[in-house]
Amino acid sequence: MAHPVTPVSPPLKDELDIVIPTIRNLDFLEMWRPFFQHYHLIIVQDGDPTKTIRVPDGFDYELFNRNDVNRVLGPKASCISFKDSACRCFGFLVSKKKYIFTIDDDCFVAKDPSGKEINALAQHIQNLLTPSTPFFFNTLYDPYREGADFVRGYPFSMREGAPTAISHGLWLNIPDYDAPTQLVKPLERNSRYVDAVMTIPKGTLFPMCGMNLGFNRELIGPAMYFGLMGDGQPIGRYDDMWAGWCAKVICDHLNLGVKTGLPYIWHSKASNPFVNLKKEYKGIYWQEEIIPFFQSIVLPKECTTVQNCYIELSKKVKEKLGSIDPYFQKLGDAMVTWIEAWEELNPPAQAAQSTGVKKEEPSTKAK
Amino acid sequence: MAAVAASSHAPTPLLKDELDIVIPTIRNLDFLEMWRPFFEQYHLIIVQDGDPSKTINVPEGFDYELYNRNDINRILGPKASCISFKDSACRCFGYMVSKKKYIYTIDDDCFVAKDPSGKQINALEQHIKNLLSPSTPHFFNTLYDPYREGADFVRGYPFSLREGVKTAVSHGLWLNIPDYDAPTQLVKPLERNSRYVDAVLTIPKGTLFPMCGMNLAFDRELIGPAMYFGLMGDGQPIGRYDDMWAGWCIKVICDHLGLGVKTGLPYIWHSKASNPFVNLRKEYKGIYWQEEIIPFFQAVALPKDCTSVQKCYIELSKQVKEKLSKIDPYFDKLADAMVTWIEAWDEQNPAGAAAEKPNGKA
Repeated sequence: MAHPVTPVSPPLKDELDIVIPTIRNLDFLEMWRPFFQHYHLIIVQDGDPTKTIRVPDGFDYELFNRNDVNRVLGPKASCISFKDSACRCFGFLVSKKKYIFTIDDDCFVAKDPSGKEINALAQHIQNLLTPSTPFFFNTLYDPYREGADFVRGYPFSMREGAPTAISHGLWLNIPDYDAPTQLVKPLERNSRYVDAVMTIPKGTLFPMCGMNLGFNRELIGPAMYFGLMGDGQPIGRYDDMWAGWCAKVICDHLNLGVKTGLPYIWHSKASNPFVNLKKEYKGIYWQEEIIPFFQSIVLPKECTTVQNCYIELSKKVKEKLGSIDPYFQKLGDAMVTWIEAWEELNPPAQAAQSTGVKKEEPSTKAK
Repeated sequence: MAAVAASSHAPTPLLKDELDIVIPTIRNLDFLEMWRPFFEQYHLIIVQDGDPSKTINVPEGFDYELYNRNDINRILGPKASCISFKDSACRCFGYMVSKKKYIYTIDDDCFVAKDPSGKQINALEQHIKNLLSPSTPHFFNTLYDPYREGADFVRGYPFSLREGVKTAVSHGLWLNIPDYDAPTQLVKPLERNSRYVDAVLTIPKGTLFPMCGMNLAFDRELIGPAMYFGLMGDGQPIGRYDDMWAGWCIKVICDHLGLGVKTGLPYIWHSKASNPFVNLRKEYKGIYWQEEIIPFFQAVALPKDCTSVQKCYIELSKQVKEKLSKIDPYFDKLADAMVTWIEAWDEQNPAGAAAEKPNGKA
């Protein structure tokens, strides 16, 4: 493959924001510098707003703490979780870009089997800019990758694929296990590099992890609400799961694609399984009812936008899951609040206007 | 969970008396020399296509039965009409006459591949691993096969689904010459598959896939009667859709019966690129027909009272006749052949039969 002599502008440099929730520091960005430096960061500071989060020099960023979240959203801030990385979705809300990449602050650059450092962002972009194939499984995985194609027997009419809404990356080292699995297998590490990107077929749900995730805001942004978690909530560590189930149902309805697989990042920190069990406890039981709920959802034909789909979903959540626990009534309401907030901050046909989210307003600003 | 962990470290059972290797061939079986270390202990069923008067040379030391067209006609009588002639689809005759629980089928231009570390891949062992561990068709696991060593179900995977379901089919892949259709072969004659994807995964329920017969294993007891490879080759308007047809049928039935289909490892090394001009002629009608066949299979709903593979398959044959005949009279013939196949299957595999002596031993 020919490489240009003069450096080429990083792909989508002005069309993609990197959203990072954090509570302590952003030292991890040093390792990502070669890959992230040209992109705008949106840092969502969770926890104590009086604490100063140090951002390594040379990054262009906006930082929002809880005071900012409250100021920007007013009463609608109630839908944004506090003391949980679910707060990251505030960053999705206020971004003005077409694409989002979100990553956790304990995720570092991984190496592929040849020893080369993996540019996770570039791979996500590649995934998002190429079609998905949700309607029929291709046994050679992503047919748009170099050196691959559709196999014999793949209907030709489906080879244009569907637009890709989500790119779900994976993790080497500490795998994303739930608390029971962490307790039973504390030493297990993911050392298997699976060199594939694939589309999760239409009609199939999956557990979406928010640690290493890219998506097209224009295609699916309003469905990327990470729910009510953390402080004052009965559940935690189901934020990305919730968003994943909602987003997948909506993608299936709107014929958008969801990819999973490459890129890998190196997940360095194993969270405390005892703490995790406390957070996940109710979810372990609730998900047994939540999953069949999502599996059987039928969205009406008239729901032709993500927002319409999402509002419809919120109604069904209240109607069908409300009986499990009052939490789901609150969650259904919060889903509506989220959409209202999304519409307010992302009015249709806005150009590069910022509505109430000027660079000068956040607590800390980059150079 | 501990029990699964233990079994993943234990050696894979050989299943040497429970598995037959079915190989269709028209020329010779020299390729078996390379497979000897991995195949020698197993019984082979060789289905000789084409001219029955030709002698197929089988390398020494293999335990095998060989059937040519005369044998097929003798064993099945008039029902032999359902077995294709001059097409590797004839391999399904081998499935029918096998007395074993598992089948592994491989093409005679498929050799032992190497993994990225340079180690030779025992494809049969991997297929056995795949078939002996559960599948997960109801929910996608992002770390792929959770039963593999070093992997598990991820956070968010419902616990009630972690037992998985029985695996009916293990679909392996190919390095070197990929399994492309004729148009793709014509456009990209030099493309080789050099990407080793270290994963086994379950194809989710409700999703169809293109099943390739080159490197395929299945549980005969779970899904055998649905592994009919259709009417191809001599006297038929279509070719190179045999395994595809079987794959669409079995997937619909597996989904209905709650059985799993895996794809991914193992890889074999596919050495021969078939002639794309010949392939185009064979596939030509299929290119158009599959556009209607796929929506047909995607919309098939099997009634609740179809609780056995045979019942599902007969029901499927009715729907094929009803819905696809209008595309071409071929589908009418095919639907009849599907029924003939089941009749032949039940005759060769009467319920409650133990390990009866096979017919036509070479």
